[in-house]
Amino acid sequence: MGLIDHKFEDNFITTNVDKVLNWARQNSLWPMGFGLACCAIEMMAASASRFDIARFGAEVFRASPRQSDLLIVAGTVTKKMAPVLRRLYDQMPEPKWVISMGSCSNAGGPFPTYSVLQGVDKIVPVDVYVSGCPPRPEALLYGLMRLQDKIRKENTVLRKERVIMAGTTEPILVSDRT
Amino acid sequence: MKGLWLTLKYTPQPAFTFQYPAERRPVAPRFRGVLRLQVEPESGAQTCIVCDQCAKACPDDLIALGGHREPGQKIKILDYFDFNLSRCSFCGLCSEVCPTKPIKALIMSEDYELGTYSRETQILRIDEMYDGVPIEQYTR
Repeated sequence: MGLIDHKFEDNFITTNVDKVLNWARQNSLWPMGFGLACCAIEMMAASASRFDIARFGAEVFRASPRQSDLLIVAGTVTKKMAPVLRRLYDQMPEPKWVISMGSCSNAGGPFPTYSVLQGVDKIVPVDVYVSGCPPRPEALLYGLMRLQDKIRKENTVLRKERVIMAGTTEPILVSDRT
Repeated sequence: MKGLWLTLKYTPQPAFTFQYPAERRPVAPRFRGVLRLQVEPESGAQTCIVCDQCAKACPDDLIALGGHREPGQKIKILDYFDFNLSRCSFCGLCSEVCPTKPIKALIMSEDYELGTYSRETQILRIDEMYDGVPIEQYTR
């Protein structure tokens, strides 16, 4: 919503506009499936008739970034794939959200190597992390519902610029203990 | 004409879709969900003996635990148990080596609904590790 972004104060009209817009956005999330590994199989299962992601309004998996609102990164992101992922993310129109699905895209998974990106949040801002290896289709739907929860609370008119967690390292397990 | 006949043949069948948040599919008998700590069912006493075998068995070094010994007591008391869920590939090696009997201190539970908003909350501390920790459910 480039027309009304950052133009008004937070008031009665804008909060009601928020409600309508967020309701519309949360119930029509069109995902762009970015299936890279075994998580893609579970993502396909979630979109097929048994689990049916269409019940949540995330109906059509678009093959084109220009028509999608939600990027589901499913699988290991290698460093060769990372610039492509970033470009596709940049091509998506605002507003856009990202779900990181599975251990590999959350943090690199069992591949702490030179060729694998250690967490997709280093190149795109991730909204929901779904853990699992791979997550069940239900877990992906759970992540989608969490994202819808987040969108419901979003402030559309005063929408903050999202920042990438670039340069962050993996949180250290026993940082506060010696 | 052939396609139309196929459509008509499948139309009277009941819907195949699983209404997930309302009804939950039972997990497979050996399903490996997220790692959980177990306590004695009656007394609620700690079963973990702080032997550190799970931390050694983990191929990705995701578990860090520690405890202290009270003077005059035989068993160690578990102080912290940090589990980095973000990298976990649910292989089950940690719960396999857990030696406590008859109740295993460390199990792969049946919880699979794991969605978080940040990387930091993917590190489970000891109070989020016990079995039966409530998970935020959705109804619609």
